[in-house]
Amino acid sequence: MSNAQPSKSTPQTRLLDPSVLASMSNLELVAKAVVEGFVIGLHRSPKFGFSQEFVEYRQYTEGDDPRYIDWNVYSRTDRTVIKRFLGETNSHLMLLLDTSASMGFGSGGTTKLQYGKYLGASLAYLAARQHDAVGVMLFDDEIVEYRPPASKPGSMQGVIHILDAAQPSLGTDINKPMKRFREHVKRRGLVAVISDFYCDAEELLENIRPLAMHGQDVIMFHLLDKDELDPDIKQSTLYEDMETGDAIEVEPIYMAKAYREKIRKHIRTIEEAANGIRADHVLLNTAEPLDRGLHNYLTFREKRG
Amino acid sequence: MALIGPLFLLGLLGIGLPIWLHRLETQVTERSPFATTRFLEPARKRIHVQKKLKYLLLMALRIAFFVILALLFARPVFFSAPEAVISEDTTHHVIVVDTSFSMSADGSFGTALDAARSIINSMGADDVASLYSAASGVTGIVPVTADAAVLSEALNGLAPGNGKLDLGVMVTSLNALIEQSQANFVLHVISDFQQSGQAVRFADMIPNVINGRPVSLDVVRVQTQNTPNFAVDSVLVTNRTTVEVGIRGYDSDNSERTVTLLVNDEAQQEQAVMANGTGITFAVFDDVAFAEGDNRIDIRITPNDALPGDDERHAVFDNSPPAPVLLLTADPESRGVTYISAALETAPRGYEVISQNIADLDARVLQRYPWIVIEDMGAINASLATAITEYVSGGGAVLAGAGESLLGQSVIPVLDLGINSTALRRESRSPITMIDNSHPALRESAGWGMVNMQTLPVAASGDDRLLIAQAGDRPVLIERAIGRGRFMLLTTALDNTLTDLPVKPVFVTFMAEAARYLSNENLLIREQVAESFLQLSRSGGASGQVYDPDGNSLLSLSDTTRAQDIALNKTGFYRVITPAGDVLVAVNPDRRESDLTVMDAQVLQNWQNVVAGTAGAGDAALAAGQETAVENTEEQEIWRFFLILLVIIVLAESFLGNQHLRVRTGTL
Repeated sequence: MSNAQPSKSTPQTRLLDPSVLASMSNLELVAKAVVEGFVIGLHRSPKFGFSQEFVEYRQYTEGDDPRYIDWNVYSRTDRTVIKRFLGETNSHLMLLLDTSASMGFGSGGTTKLQYGKYLGASLAYLAARQHDAVGVMLFDDEIVEYRPPASKPGSMQGVIHILDAAQPSLGTDINKPMKRFREHVKRRGLVAVISDFYCDAEELLENIRPLAMHGQDVIMFHLLDKDELDPDIKQSTLYEDMETGDAIEVEPIYMAKAYREKIRKHIRTIEEAANGIRADHVLLNTAEPLDRGLHNYLTFREKRG
Repeated sequence: MALIGPLFLLGLLGIGLPIWLHRLETQVTERSPFATTRFLEPARKRIHVQKKLKYLLLMALRIAFFVILALLFARPVFFSAPEAVISEDTTHHVIVVDTSFSMSADGSFGTALDAARSIINSMGADDVASLYSAASGVTGIVPVTADAAVLSEALNGLAPGNGKLDLGVMVTSLNALIEQSQANFVLHVISDFQQSGQAVRFADMIPNVINGRPVSLDVVRVQTQNTPNFAVDSVLVTNRTTVEVGIRGYDSDNSERTVTLLVNDEAQQEQAVMANGTGITFAVFDDVAFAEGDNRIDIRITPNDALPGDDERHAVFDNSPPAPVLLLTADPESRGVTYISAALETAPRGYEVISQNIADLDARVLQRYPWIVIEDMGAINASLATAITEYVSGGGAVLAGAGESLLGQSVIPVLDLGINSTALRRESRSPITMIDNSHPALRESAGWGMVNMQTLPVAASGDDRLLIAQAGDRPVLIERAIGRGRFMLLTTALDNTLTDLPVKPVFVTFMAEAARYLSNENLLIREQVAESFLQLSRSGGASGQVYDPDGNSLLSLSDTTRAQDIALNKTGFYRVITPAGDVLVAVNPDRRESDLTVMDAQVLQNWQNVVAGTAGAGDAALAAGQETAVENTEEQEIWRFFLILLVIIVLAESFLGNQHLRVRTGTL
């Protein structure tokens, strides 16, 4: 299981801090700042494909971005070849962002939805930098917005624009949107699901498993607020469910013990469900910087690449 | 309710403190958004409701604490206001209904009630009224009210009684009853206005200017013409076998009346007499048989007239045999014995005097007599003095004279009173200056001033009650209580050697009254007027029981242990049980009520005019009257009740607050 770990505040990681990012109004700028800061932190590691070192030429095939055709070779040999660098995978990344009402919760300055936007935008930026096609789908109990993966110029901006416009809406029903998503997805690629996964683990498993069976690599970013992970109340509190509106008064002693056990158990169940379909599960505390998420993404991509 | 220190109500702002504190406290339970409640336990929801109720109760108690505290400082008071709101513009109808005996004459009382209802129904919207009944006294029936229904209902409970109305007494009583009001008075007097009801002094019929308010008199006459009437006026028993009955006619024609004599509820004789319509006619019944002791005599005349209540009269005749009285004398043939025997044997009660020579007396015979007479204390030797002292101490009674034989002695036997014999002739011939009329033996005291007497210069002791005295408080008649008995000493002789008292009429009266008193016979007046009071104290000692003419006992067991005055509201025979035996008292309406001659209309008009004139003179006192009315409003401070309430609230708050804190500590 991947647990949220407290991060050390270095000059580089400070740029990835959600509270700092919240002060930036432009989501693309946020993504750029996150990725650039993250890349600097990686010391330009060739392992993750950020090096500009030439690897090979390969034959152009239909579907490749024509921008990457080496026209010098074409002029000399009359062959269309693609120039490849270390780290390029030429795969698809599909971002699935949960916009349910529960994602609007945030005890600090950043809600889970905002954090998910930052994460999604950063992943999109990172993928675009690696010449991957990026798509996005916003969902609650329906598909709110959908943009298929593309690597054309401006695709990344389009994805970021959709992410930027996301607002918390209704409750979560993962069945319907995932079913429709499976109908749209054609090509093997990478699917990043960003959600708080307040759903039944079995139900989730039933919806993710078909994706894995169709060759999709699924990474589940499990976003939770620090007050959801480690609530700390001093007196009785009346909590209102953001999705159903139900109110329940809870005692501090309950939140300190029983609740924590329950939420841990739920996380563990989600993680086990993910492991069962060879999906990756990444638990992210929205109070922590984004680098863990990006690092997990790159590690996962490297493993599957 | 009002507040003496209303500024302290600013303290009510203090209730903001508990409200603010509770808001702070309850903010913790305000709704906070949370991503999901699927992992939260709603098990304590019921406890939350309970706690919330406790919070509200606690807050209410704390708010109440500040409210009560502020009220305590503000000093709330209640004013005992009159039942109806009366202002200067209010007309207060004082309705007085005559309920005297004469109002039971045909139609009079019904007319009176109709007139009262008419007055009530014509009351203005802002008017108030009070209802009184008037007979021997004035009785408040309904206090000041604006509710006509209450007044009308109260009228249904009124009925003519047996009393006599005196308009002077009525007005005086009303002055006292309604003097506190500040309205404009209209005094409605509803009566048959008998001539006999007019006050002796016309001024007595003028009400005071009541509290400075205008008063007007409304005379409502229920009879404008004289009503013919016959009544049994008197019943007199002579020679123990003859009954003489007086029949009086009022404004009637001469007519034949049948007079029936009943003795102890049995009709004995009947006579037809031609009764004088404007005077008295006597019917004499001879050879009437009376039982021994008290006899009930009822006289009835038929046919009845407009006022049937006075066609019957009750009387009591005491047919007890003469009581024996022992007269101790040194000479049974003396003039003193003659005078004393004659006086006692002619007394209404009748006594049989047994004269006994002191020299031949066996002292043991004293115990046979309830009381004895000693002609001359100078004849009492030492052994007899001891016997007499024992006799009196045991409950006997003595009336003794001080004859010339005491002149040579320095001390009166039995009483041990010193005598200054040398001063007898020089100082004793002085007039009587003091008579204690309250003493039962001296109720008929007229004539004592005509008596010439020489008295022994006796130095009365502190134990002696001085009943008659000459100048310089020189005792003439003294009484001393010895043990359970009484000893009365006349400091002069009971013959005519030192005084002419035995040959004066007052001697007979005195001897009769003294005999009644010393023999412990009842002293009740045997014929009383209705609505007067029977003074049971005259029967001596405790009251005993009293039964009214219907046989109802009037006194509780505790009342019978002390002397009482009983109101005689019914006509007939009251039976009084006294230590000396049962006594009957006959009660009849006042004879003057039988005279249905009405007052002259001009007199009534003058009465109204005089009242109106007097009231006008009182307008100047209006302002002063209003101030008085305000001052008369009684304040009743109620801070004590608030203080008790405050203590209860503090205790409840402490208990509840403590409970609440205990719950909170457990949850943290």
